[in-house]
Amino acid sequence: MLPIFHSLLTMKERHGFSALYITPLRSLNRNMLSRLTWWCGELGLSVGVRHGDTTMAERRKQVLKPPDLLITTPETVQSMMMGSRLRQHLGGVRHVIVDEIHELADGKRGVQLAIALERICEYAGEFQRIGISATVGNPETVGYCLCGRRPFAIVEVPVASRLSLQVLFGGDRFDGQVEKIEDAIQGRGSSLVFVNTRSVAEAIGHHLIPRGDVEVHHGSLSKEVRIDAEDRFSKGQIRTLVCTSSMELGIDIGHIDHVVQFGSPRDVARLIQRVGRAGHRIDQISRGTIIATGFDDLLESLVIARRAVLNKTEPVVPPCCPADVIANQVAAIAVERGECGIETIRKIFSRAWPVSDCGSLLDDSISRMEEHRLIRREGDRIIKTGRARKYLTTNLSMITDERKFRIIDYVTRRTIGTLDESFVVGWIHTGAVFITRGRLWRVLEVLEDAITVEPAPKSMGELPSWEGEQIPVPFEVAEEVGRLRRTRNFSEYGADDDSLAYINRILSEMEKNRTPVPTDRLVMLEHSKEGVIMNICGGHKANEALGRALSILISARYGTSVGIEVNAYRIFLRLPKTVRAQDVREILFSLEGEHVEAILKIAMKKTALYKWKLVAVAKKFGAIDSDAEYDKISLHRLSEHFDGSIIEEEVYRELFSRYMDAGAAGRLITRIRSGDTEVQIGALSIIGSEGLFSSRDLIAPPDMDQAVIAALKRRLNAQEVILACMHCRKWKRKTILERVEEHPECPKCGARLIAAVKPYEEENIQIIRKKTKTPEEKDVEKKMLRSANMVLSSGKRAIIALAGRGVGPDAASRILATHAHGDGFYKEILKAERKYITTHRFW
Amino acid sequence: MIPRFLSEGPALLLKRSISVLVVADTHLGVESALDSAGWHLKSSSESRLQRILNCIEVTDPDLLLILGDLKHSVPRITWQEHTELPEFLDAIRRNVDLRLLPGNHDPGIERYMEAEEILNKNGVIIDGTGYLHGHTYPSPDLAGHLIVAGHHHPVIHLYDEVGCSLRGTPAYLLSEVNEKKLRMVETDTPTRLLLVPAFYEYAGGIDIRTIPESGISPLSRSIRIDTAEVFLQDGTYIDTLGSLRSEAHYRPSA
Repeated sequence: MLPIFHSLLTMKERHGFSALYITPLRSLNRNMLSRLTWWCGELGLSVGVRHGDTTMAERRKQVLKPPDLLITTPETVQSMMMGSRLRQHLGGVRHVIVDEIHELADGKRGVQLAIALERICEYAGEFQRIGISATVGNPETVGYCLCGRRPFAIVEVPVASRLSLQVLFGGDRFDGQVEKIEDAIQGRGSSLVFVNTRSVAEAIGHHLIPRGDVEVHHGSLSKEVRIDAEDRFSKGQIRTLVCTSSMELGIDIGHIDHVVQFGSPRDVARLIQRVGRAGHRIDQISRGTIIATGFDDLLESLVIARRAVLNKTEPVVPPCCPADVIANQVAAIAVERGECGIETIRKIFSRAWPVSDCGSLLDDSISRMEEHRLIRREGDRIIKTGRARKYLTTNLSMITDERKFRIIDYVTRRTIGTLDESFVVGWIHTGAVFITRGRLWRVLEVLEDAITVEPAPKSMGELPSWEGEQIPVPFEVAEEVGRLRRTRNFSEYGADDDSLAYINRILSEMEKNRTPVPTDRLVMLEHSKEGVIMNICGGHKANEALGRALSILISARYGTSVGIEVNAYRIFLRLPKTVRAQDVREILFSLEGEHVEAILKIAMKKTALYKWKLVAVAKKFGAIDSDAEYDKISLHRLSEHFDGSIIEEEVYRELFSRYMDAGAAGRLITRIRSGDTEVQIGALSIIGSEGLFSSRDLIAPPDMDQAVIAALKRRLNAQEVILACMHCRKWKRKTILERVEEHPECPKCGARLIAAVKPYEEENIQIIRKKTKTPEEKDVEKKMLRSANMVLSSGKRAIIALAGRGVGPDAASRILATHAHGDGFYKEILKAERKYITTHRFW
Repeated sequence: MIPRFLSEGPALLLKRSISVLVVADTHLGVESALDSAGWHLKSSSESRLQRILNCIEVTDPDLLLILGDLKHSVPRITWQEHTELPEFLDAIRRNVDLRLLPGNHDPGIERYMEAEEILNKNGVIIDGTGYLHGHTYPSPDLAGHLIVAGHHHPVIHLYDEVGCSLRGTPAYLLSEVNEKKLRMVETDTPTRLLLVPAFYEYAGGIDIRTIPESGISPLSRSIRIDTAEVFLQDGTYIDTLGSLRSEAHYRPSA
């Protein structure tokens, strides 16, 4: 900051905000403010902060008398561009500092900011841009995000060489793991303990807070509680803070001696960032300890720690031309200017690197927004509408925030929990059954902010509710874990004796059970009670793509739904009992690497993930308000409305970059097909059953017919049928179709001349036993003989056909004469039923 | 009488001495109501009209019967409805005679229709079949007939061993009714009810399994569950409602 202060002080005249300091977080803003206030006071410069928490009075003051240095967030920059006075002040900007830029550049917020900086340029001319980033694999890309095609320089501070990392195994039990944390923070001065979820932070806090020198810090706590914890830590009143990513970014809370990471950090960048909080000075060593909590976790931690020391940080991948950001910024420019030539917008965009090649996406976005009445188009200009401002104030941020829905028990009228919006969008319809708090619930009604439910009995198709998105483990890390499982050179990775003992225990148990250990060269398909577990070290995104592609092919071939759950090392396919690991293997080998993306596109639309992303993107396009009422519309039929639209395109772009890696999945498949990776089938192993699946979805059969045929099969199987021997005429049996043999035989005479009679025709059996028959009775006999002859020649197939609704011997023989097989056979039955219903029934 | 199921509607053609094309719950102008609920979709009235005209073209009926909820907004008519309804109705009239059984969303529709086009909201008998929208008690005259009704927006979810294999697809429900619950006298031939799915494509619909308890109409309470039958929009028979509601339905299929 000092060179900037110098520049500000030597400027002839300052007007407006001379410098902007942009950070991703409000807490970081507050922290920067307290650090810069002293300097600015001494130097006679004014400083202010402006973000969501800033009071109206403060905001007004800033409008009347802008501070020289303004600390703010990317979203507040967006809102400032809406006001004419503030725009003037932004016209004075000479320096922009973007702190923790890696955090922004990785997502849509960064794209939005890149465009915003170019919009400021329109008022301020060129200004100096400074980005402050954590260690990333590709600093040039981050530079392009900040500067576009302008020349820039990168100043790198080596981090890896200053890292001192240690991986410990925390034991199987939570109590023991907490003791390990206590050991690790003992006698080390001040420590940060990073955990991956809020609930774990709370659980550890529950154990350690009674010590008196530990506090918890995470995003669900109130601002006051967090600030209090930060203060007491920086004053040395407490020595340890248990925190989530809330403390990851550079909030200055004084000196930190040591960082503990509880559980695998999931990727290298995160580990370096977190451990980098310790000894945060250029001449100091950053010391960190990872306490691992299971087999996957331990190996993953070893691999990540080693990759960190080797400086193999993951690259930041900025989204390329995200259409929803383009739409958002077009609306923003329309509101800012009232009206604007499209060429001007294109020029602004062309300077912002992530959207510089947006081409026709810009025109498509504009047409789509016109449809949502955010803008009007007149010739080559766009004009804002009345809706645009309202849209923009609710869509300043590209962060998708999820609404929470209360779950209300209809019986007791009590709230029993909450559901995330993504779960509601993806799964909830009236009648749907889901699990929460270990119980089954059936949805009765979807209200504006709540779901009413009743306790449900056991049924199929239920799903556990989930919360939040997980941090993905990269392909390279998962692959190296697979290699480590194969080479077993754990000591080279710095495993200590406890860790080694644990690993060896697991591996020898695997050997004892004769279950091979899946590695980077061996994929194990294991049978479990509910389906097949595919052990494959592909990381989250590749496994997600592969698991879904497989599910789609399985669901298409077997006409069944397939449930999937995925993590970095395994894919769990929930399957009907009839589909076995052999079938999965066969389908796996039939899959071609380069077809994965195309296959995924076929069936993504019906999945929960697609629907949720569609809603999120449509909101940013102004098609859906952030507080839209879900009870007013069928979400699942709504998706057709967006077919072929730019919104759909953006959903695919995001799914295939952020959630799934079809390319990596393709490479895994190519290795399998070439034999580099072997595939074996085995019993459920302890590695295979190491659970914690982070993403869940259901792939429904691609063709509606298949779902209908499955329902038909179930109906027919449960159908009552009476079998009667037409040879000796002494035997009859009432049963359900499911229990009938392929070629039923009369137990009395051994004949296979068996008639299949509908339950309501039971008296016909008395008729055929009569010695003398009336002409009508002879007709009955003739009909039964026809039925029996069909069963004699076609076996159970004839009985199935005859069980169809209103299907008599004539219709059944027509069905059998088509020689249709598999689904085709059942389609013929459905056809005969439709014919009966429309032509032969009394209406 | 011979029915023909038109899945491209969903619509139903009923033929006896004349042929009647039946369409239920078009909810024209729903987009402006959705607009205030936070869903900003362009009007689909034109595409709904094309679907209706298409059904008329393939069936060449003597009469188009709209089973109520022709328009969406109550109690006031929206600008969207005011501008779209006249052309929509004229386009139909150019092809076929039109009748409406007014539904709970139809107050104010008189402005846009001829008096003889609007039938008694409690139901009428046309060519031996009873018709009404379905939010009211049916007229006692309908006893002993097949009663064709809209209003309920029935949809079905199908499940297999693993999960929901088909979600929210429009469906028909055919059922005998308990006449007492409809304040009707019992007749020699049973009174039967056919619930027609909504033509309007964004309808979330009511899970057909829950219609009897939904309490949304007298008709819904009168359904005889065990023997009621469920059909898809192309007339494919699925199962009895009793069986679909039973636990056994969730057993694995072979």
